[in-house]
Formats: sequence, structure tokens, C-alpha cells
Amino acid sequence: MILSQKILLITAFAISLFGITSCVKDDQDITPSIASIAVTNADFSTLEGAAIQGGVAVVLSNANPSDPSGDYTVFAPNNAAFARLGLNTEADLAVLNDAFLTNTLLYHVSNGNLIGNTIAAGGRSSSALGPDRRFVQRGSDLYINGSKILATDIQAENGTVHVIDKVLLATGVDIVQSALALTDSKVFITPELTFLVEALVYTDLVGALVAAPGSPSFTVFAPSDAAFKQLGVDLGVALNTPADIRKLPKETVAAVLLNHVVADGGKFTSEMNGGAIAPLGGISITLGVFTNGTLTVKGNGNSMVANMIIPDVQATNGVVHVIDRVLLP
Amino acid sequence: MQKNRLFSFLTLLVLPILAQAQSPVSGFMNGKGNSVIAVSYSAEKYDKVLLSPNDANGVPVFNDVKVNSASLYASYGISNRFDAVLSLPYISAKGNANESVLNELGYENTRSGIQDLSVFLKYNPYNCNIGTTSLHFMLGAGVKTPIGNYKVDEGLQSILAIGNRATSFNGLAIAQVRFNDGLFLTTQAGYSLRNGQVPNALIGEIKAGYAGKHIYVDAWFAGQVSDGGVNILGEGFQGFFPATDVSYNRVGVNVYVPIAGGFGISGGLSQYLNGRNVGQSVGFSGAVVYSF
Repeated sequence: MILSQKILLITAFAISLFGITSCVKDDQDITPSIASIAVTNADFSTLEGAAIQGGVAVVLSNANPSDPSGDYTVFAPNNAAFARLGLNTEADLAVLNDAFLTNTLLYHVSNGNLIGNTIAAGGRSSSALGPDRRFVQRGSDLYINGSKILATDIQAENGTVHVIDKVLLATGVDIVQSALALTDSKVFITPELTFLVEALVYTDLVGALVAAPGSPSFTVFAPSDAAFKQLGVDLGVALNTPADIRKLPKETVAAVLLNHVVADGGKFTSEMNGGAIAPLGGISITLGVFTNGTLTVKGNGNSMVANMIIPDVQATNGVVHVIDRVLLP
Repeated sequence: MQKNRLFSFLTLLVLPILAQAQSPVSGFMNGKGNSVIAVSYSAEKYDKVLLSPNDANGVPVFNDVKVNSASLYASYGISNRFDAVLSLPYISAKGNANESVLNELGYENTRSGIQDLSVFLKYNPYNCNIGTTSLHFMLGAGVKTPIGNYKVDEGLQSILAIGNRATSFNGLAIAQVRFNDGLFLTTQAGYSLRNGQVPNALIGEIKAGYAGKHIYVDAWFAGQVSDGGVNILGEGFQGFFPATDVSYNRVGVNVYVPIAGGFGISGGLSQYLNGRNVGQSVGFSGAVVYSF
């Protein structure tokens, strides 16, 4: 075979290759679904794991059957938002109760398209879980509950995605039931707030925090179990189990608990400012400077500030912030 | 004379053995009464999934996936113009999911088993010579059907499914040109009809190579374009992967060396270039081939 014929054949080969290559389907005209955005964006890898574990990945791949538009709006927490809760990888999600995780995801979702420029400060938006979320303007930033909206209007085939810097948390029940949910491992698979619940029972303060028609809403700073154990160390009283709370005088425990409750309608971190606030106990507690979506809080009798380890948990009669230190009057 | 010598290797038939993505039939005929049996091994790995419109770095749940397979391959020349080809792979797919994730989801990191039996017939109705160059035209028809009891309906666990459980009926048209110095070029195109929810597909392959007395090498480019199907995480996706639009282009190379007494060994490399709803795997393969 002469050289020119070979060149001709190789050319034909190359053209054939090009022909096959051009058969590859074009992705340019396809808009990703909300689930696809979560799975293909590296900054949503924990959300991806949560959507899979929570059983909503397939749901968010498809049109919304509950809305005429077929769309959802999702406030999507980025990886840093999950990391605030110690959830750094999808494996860390195993600490969460499955039903709670699913409900938490649904709290981030609403029916229809809620476009960024239609979100108004002071407004509310109902969630697929049920409880409303409220929008707060703080400086030039817009928040949903205590979560800053970092980016708006990522268009998906089945709706709209807005990026937020904190996971939205709602229990759908009142403050007492919320604490009991934590105690009964309905949030984390390991019980939490067990000392606080025992203290509320011991001091007969449960009734004050139960939601009832016309009852007020509160901001509650809820010390974690570790916070109570640290208190025991500080006081020289062994607080190893919740029942050990009863070693302390009832009146003292009641005074300490009332130091954690503020009858202000229930405020998210986005609505708080540094300075003194008055809890039900009457002696001021002090909020630190609002920094990166959170504030420290310090009781009059504390030498060190408490940090919010789980801020902005919405209950039906207020907002709970789980803190790492008991606030002493 | 040289041409006869170059193309007398029955072992040229190794070329479809090495990778699942390659067409099960080659452009060479066995010749009446001649047989080839081969046992092959392949290993592939991917940590990127080609999706539409955007790809996913990191395989959901499983992070990365390794696919190992061992296949039995046989072909027999019923006549000079008819070949029968059979292949049966055993496949093991292993993910790399964190144990706590597996426990939480009730998933496992491995799925394995006997996959699909392929039986193809190849017919060579026409050959001609143009000077020292010969042209060969063939038709292939075959069935591929699941033999093992592997599952495909386990939700996201089925990211590791070893097949799609479809029975497919495949038709292929094959053309090959051979030069007297050992170079050859084979093209084939066909259509695969699949049952169940698995979309039908257009399939094609171009292969160029050299077949000498002491060595055989080729480079290939293969593609599949599904005729329908849904995109993973797209509208209509219900977590059932066999119903997805699996389309891709893939390239690879093969080399074969005859040893002695009808035995030879072969090896190959392959890589997905682009596509959708498929892991972008890179892999290698090897085979021991016996011709008689």
C-alpha cells in the first residue's frame, strides 16, 4: 500500500473517531436537580451524606408533587455549617437519630420557588417539616433563623437553592419536649441534656416551659451534660449522674435554672447583641460580641464564658441554645 | 504470502476478551474447527462518577469503587464463515464506604457474583482484495443474559451492582481492512435491545492495530449511546440504576504475545473519556489464551 493511501485511511479513521466522539450527549442544556447540586458540589459533601442517610436524595432529584410549580426551595447548609455541630464528614452523621435527621432536612425545604429578592426581613416561610422559619436582617446580611444566607438563587431543575452557614434546627415541640427528645436519644443517639431535664423536674419548673395557649416564648440557654459535670467539679460536688443534681438544694438549683431563661419571645443568635440581658432569675447575664454567627454568654457568678455548642434550635415556644457551661447567678 | 502468515493467528481473537466495554466480537474469523479458550482478569477503579450535567468527584456513599473480574471466554469456528463466541464473567465490586455509614444505611462494601452469559454468532458473508489490501465484512448477533442472582434494586447500594440484569439482543455490522504489512483497521456498529427498564443502546467501536508473527497490538475507541433512560439524580430517577441513560466513550490498548504450543498471554489498559451515569474508571487486564 502506498503512503498516500495509508494517509487517506488514517484520515478516515480520525474522521470516524470524531464522528463517534460527537455522539456523546450534550450536557450544556441540562439544569441539575437540587440533589445533583448537592452531590456534585464539594462544599455540600456532608449535606449529600445527610440527604442519603435521611432518605431525601431521590425525592430532591424529582419535581415536587406537592406544588403546582413542581419546585422546591432548599436552604442548603455547606460543610462548614455541619462542622459547627461536629459533623465533619458523612460518617459523623451516624451520631444523629435517623428520624431527627430527616426532619431536620425537611426543615430546610419548602414548596415552590422562594427567590432571593423576594425574601423580606421580618417575613416568615413555612417549611416542609411544618414549623415556620423567619427572616432576619442584620447589617447587610440576611438570615433565616440564626443562619446567614451566604448565596442565593442557585437554579435547579426542580427549584432554587440558597446556601446557609448553619444547619437549621427545629424540634416541632415545646422547650420541655425538645429537651426530653434529646434525653431520649431522639436527636443524638447518645442522650443529652439529661441533667437539665432532671433539674427541671427536681425544681418543679417543667410547667413554666411547657407551651400552652397564651403562654410566653423564651430564649433558653441549655447547659449540656458536660456543663453540669464541670459545675460539679467547680463546686466540689460529684455530679456524675442526673440524679446527683438532687444533692444540691432545690432553691439553689431553681435559681440557677431561672438564670438560663429569658422571657423575650425567643431570639435567634441573629437577633442578639452583646451586652446584659435579664433572665427570669433577675440577675443579668452578659452576652459577648456577635462573632461568626454566635455569641458567648456569661453568668454573674461565672469566671469564664459559656459557648454555644448548638445554637438556634427552634421550639414551638422559643429558641434553645445549648451551651457548654452552667450560668451561675 | 506474508499476509497469510500475519493473519493466521487464531489468537488474534483475544482482542475482545480483555475489557467488558469492548465488543464481544472481533474482526477476525476463527476458521473451521479452530477454537480459542481464554481466562482473563481485569481490575478497574474509579472515584469519579460521570453524571449529567455535572460530574461527582467521590462516589456517593462508597467514595471509590474497585471492580475486579475474572472471565471465561471461548470461540469456535463452526465453518470458515461462521464463528460462535461465548463469554461469562465473575465480577466483584468493592466500595470504600466508612463502616459507620454502612451500618447507618444497612449497606455493604461488596457486591459480587457471576454476571451475564454472552453468546454471539458471527457471519462473514463477503471478503475482497484491492491489490494487497483485503476487506472483510461481517455480521454479528448475540444474546447477553444474566446467569447469576445479583441484585440491581437495592437503592444506592446498587451503585455497586455488578450488572443491570437486562437480557439484551444485539446486532452488529463489522468491517475490517487489512494491509499486507500487518496493519489493520476494524470498525463495528450495532444496536442493543434490552428488556425491562434498561434503555436500548447504540454501540460502536473502532480498532486499529498491528498483527505480526511475534506480537499483536491494537488501540481501540468504543462508545455507547443509550436510547433513552433517566439521569442519576435527574427527573424521573427513582434510585433504580438500570433505568439510567448509560452513555460513554472509552479508549484502550491491547497487546498479545504468543508463547508456545498454542498458548499466549495478553494485557490491556482502558480508560473512560467521557459519558454520563457511569464511573470514570481506569483499568488493566490480562489473559492466558489457548488456541487449538
